[in-house]
Amino acid sequence: MNFTRIINKEFKIASRSGYESFMPIIYLFIIMIFFNISISYVSKNIILELTPLMIWVSCLLICILNLETVFKEDFDDGTLEESLVDGTNQEENVIAKILSHWLLSNFPVVIIAPLIAILLGINYHTSIILFFSLLIGTPTMSLLGSIAAALTVSLKRNKILMSVIVLPLYVPILIFGTSAVNNAHVGINYHSELYFMGILFLLFLLIAPTACVKALKISLD
Amino acid sequence: MDKLLEVKNLSLTRNNYCIFSNVNLNIQKGQLINIYGKNGSGKTSLLKILAGITEHTHGEIIYRNSYNKFLKKNYVGHKHGIKNNLTTYENLYYSIEPHDDFQIILDALKTYKMVNYKNSLVKNLSHGQQKRVSLMKIIMNKACLYLIDEPYSSLDEDGVMVFNKTTSELLSTGASFVITNHTKINNVFTNIINYKI
Repeated sequence: MNFTRIINKEFKIASRSGYESFMPIIYLFIIMIFFNISISYVSKNIILELTPLMIWVSCLLICILNLETVFKEDFDDGTLEESLVDGTNQEENVIAKILSHWLLSNFPVVIIAPLIAILLGINYHTSIILFFSLLIGTPTMSLLGSIAAALTVSLKRNKILMSVIVLPLYVPILIFGTSAVNNAHVGINYHSELYFMGILFLLFLLIAPTACVKALKISLD
Repeated sequence: MDKLLEVKNLSLTRNNYCIFSNVNLNIQKGQLINIYGKNGSGKTSLLKILAGITEHTHGEIIYRNSYNKFLKKNYVGHKHGIKNNLTTYENLYYSIEPHDDFQIILDALKTYKMVNYKNSLVKNLSHGQQKRVSLMKIIMNKACLYLIDEPYSSLDEDGVMVFNKTTSELLSTGASFVITNHTKINNVFTNIINYKI
């Protein structure tokens, strides 16, 4: 099966899965509402400083929450086994799966997050940098997390183990992402952080497909 | 006869428990191998090894003649390998190659008498009908070797007849089959080997 057909198939399945596609956005709204209620007594300047960082942390947690679904359904219905039998294009299939998962689960959050930031009083410039940092950061997290998802796909309760595996590895992405947004907020240079995130993205784009195929084979063995 | 692959002294051990040992098989073109045995004898594991999903502990799999280890294999395991939220037609559509003629989907639907369920979501089909969809899926895609885990389970009499007919047609074109089953198969296929594990 080729790249675009896999993405097309995933979108068709998602379109029939009901409200599940909107869950990441709902999570983000809930976290931001709770966050604002809990720090409502803090001065306005501190809230403005913390909000974009909190949005970043929320997006990271949402990424972890939905990581499990990258390969789980395919594993449960047997399509994963079948796709690994045919020795051709396995990496291409995996990258198409990760991309469609990111487009369906994380991209809506990347779009909505800067809008929430603007609603909460963050300036446009910081919101745009927040958007770009999430646009580079979330696919990197998806690529990295997919390796952990592949390794734990055959385990029944894999969410906690997966979080334990990926959380320490997400720290550099979180540091670069939040400092880019913070630098934009205080008006200093943020380009180097975004470049570093871009390098991390390219690095995992090279590593993740092969690593995922190997990990899936180990999990299915 | 043209040999496809040879299995020599194959053994599988899991957690210090021997699942099977010294399995020897010769799979030839146009031949069906029926691996039968009791529950837990390792039929599915052997099929998975042949499919390249599971690694064996000892022994070797030798690919013969012009074939190599990348020969086109189609595999259906215990799970059906179909998507519940797609219709029968969509499941078949996504299983074929982009350049394939869509007519093969309609032909398969007719052969397996599933035309009326073409636009039904797979989750609304019975277990037997889902099995038919999974069998249609692998038979539509031409391969050198078909590996099917318990093809007769969940199928009604009519389904069994259709499966036997389509399998015989593929065997006559030179394709090979390895299937698992609980019993011997007699008087159905001309070139069949029953292998007890």
